[in-house]
Amino acid sequence: MANLLWLQGGACSGNTMSFLNAEEPSACDLVTDFGINVLWHPSLGMELGDNLQQMLKDCISGSIKLDIFVFEGTVVNAPNGTGEWNRFAGRPMKEWVRELSNVADIVVAIGDCATWGGIPATAPNPSDSEGLQFLKRDHGGFLGKDFKAKIGLPVINIPGCPAHPDWVTQILVAVATGHAGDLAIDEFQRPKTFFQSFTQTGCTRNMHFAYKVSATEFGQRRGCLFYDLGCRGPMTHSPCNRILWNRQSSKTRAGMPCLGCTEPEFPFFDLAPGTVFKTQTVMGVPKDLPAGVDKKGYIKLTAAAKTAAPAWAEEDIFTV
Amino acid sequence: MSKEDDDALREKIGKMMADGLQTQTEPFPKDNFQFEEILKELRELEAGELEKKLVISGFVDHPYGEDEQRCLECMYYLVHRKWCDLPELAVPVDPQWWCRLWRI
Repeated sequence: MANLLWLQGGACSGNTMSFLNAEEPSACDLVTDFGINVLWHPSLGMELGDNLQQMLKDCISGSIKLDIFVFEGTVVNAPNGTGEWNRFAGRPMKEWVRELSNVADIVVAIGDCATWGGIPATAPNPSDSEGLQFLKRDHGGFLGKDFKAKIGLPVINIPGCPAHPDWVTQILVAVATGHAGDLAIDEFQRPKTFFQSFTQTGCTRNMHFAYKVSATEFGQRRGCLFYDLGCRGPMTHSPCNRILWNRQSSKTRAGMPCLGCTEPEFPFFDLAPGTVFKTQTVMGVPKDLPAGVDKKGYIKLTAAAKTAAPAWAEEDIFTV
Repeated sequence: MSKEDDDALREKIGKMMADGLQTQTEPFPKDNFQFEEILKELRELEAGELEKKLVISGFVDHPYGEDEQRCLECMYYLVHRKWCDLPELAVPVDPQWWCRLWRI
């Protein structure tokens, strides 16, 4: 039996909603099939008031073993570093986070806010928010870059806005069943099993990307969303087109550009007007090219792809 | 528009440029904010104002600039239809033409 505690800082509850919709495995499966004992969760926890406070204290003292500490939302430091803007169970949440992280075997950050600050940490970051071990791309965050949980692993980051339900439950199963050490993680501490491939991997518009046929307006039944509509699929690491949302679809499959929400910079360009759903360019060339591609190669590839494009690539393909 | 209509309009546009139509090839939009400013001008035109459309967008009937940019490589160009798919332009074009709304 692995004890799991889930707390929520500066957050919209989106990752909680996502978690509760998990299917493979479901939140119930975690309890019934994988031996996870949910000590407390914002939407599931039974304890209130003094009882909850005592439970948290017991975790810190060691009278209750804390195997997995899950944090959703940012660590709020405002005002003036006190964290008073986000109080929980009688004290600033950040104080609970520090002490619980120090006693937990494994610490898992769920969603962009907990991993790198997400939307709350967007400039000018009025709540002085940060992620557990990152602030955007900067390694450190609230716990510091050298932090390691008791079993010797840094915070395991499962980003997304929200994170896909099954990324959450599958990682929780892995760590609860003693496989945390088997998780390969990348430079941003994301499990590679989910975050090595690109959002574009499996996108149904890949042929339009290959032949450089652009969607120029929303709702078009052909065309890649990268060239004009700001899609970040070729530069974003996530399995959104491999592990589908609601087992049905993904943003790009539905004609919605990827916003790059599993990357530390999200939301990109600080949401400045004109930067959302619009490919940013410099002298006619995208500012952010597909990962690993340079400008010269991109221009050559475009010329070759345009020349080779078949006629069907210019016709509507997603017809009803 | 039918293919014949497209071809006729393409020929008409080509003749306008061959006859010396002066268009606004500069400044080339450095970023998408400047690009958007040109689009705003185009959106203010009436549907039939073809010449103004060509002038504002800086059409020329040959490759342009040091890199010999042309419609053929532009992301708005549909190769088989020989068509500019930028909604604000939406005109038949020739692969060897160029305009300052070129993007790749």
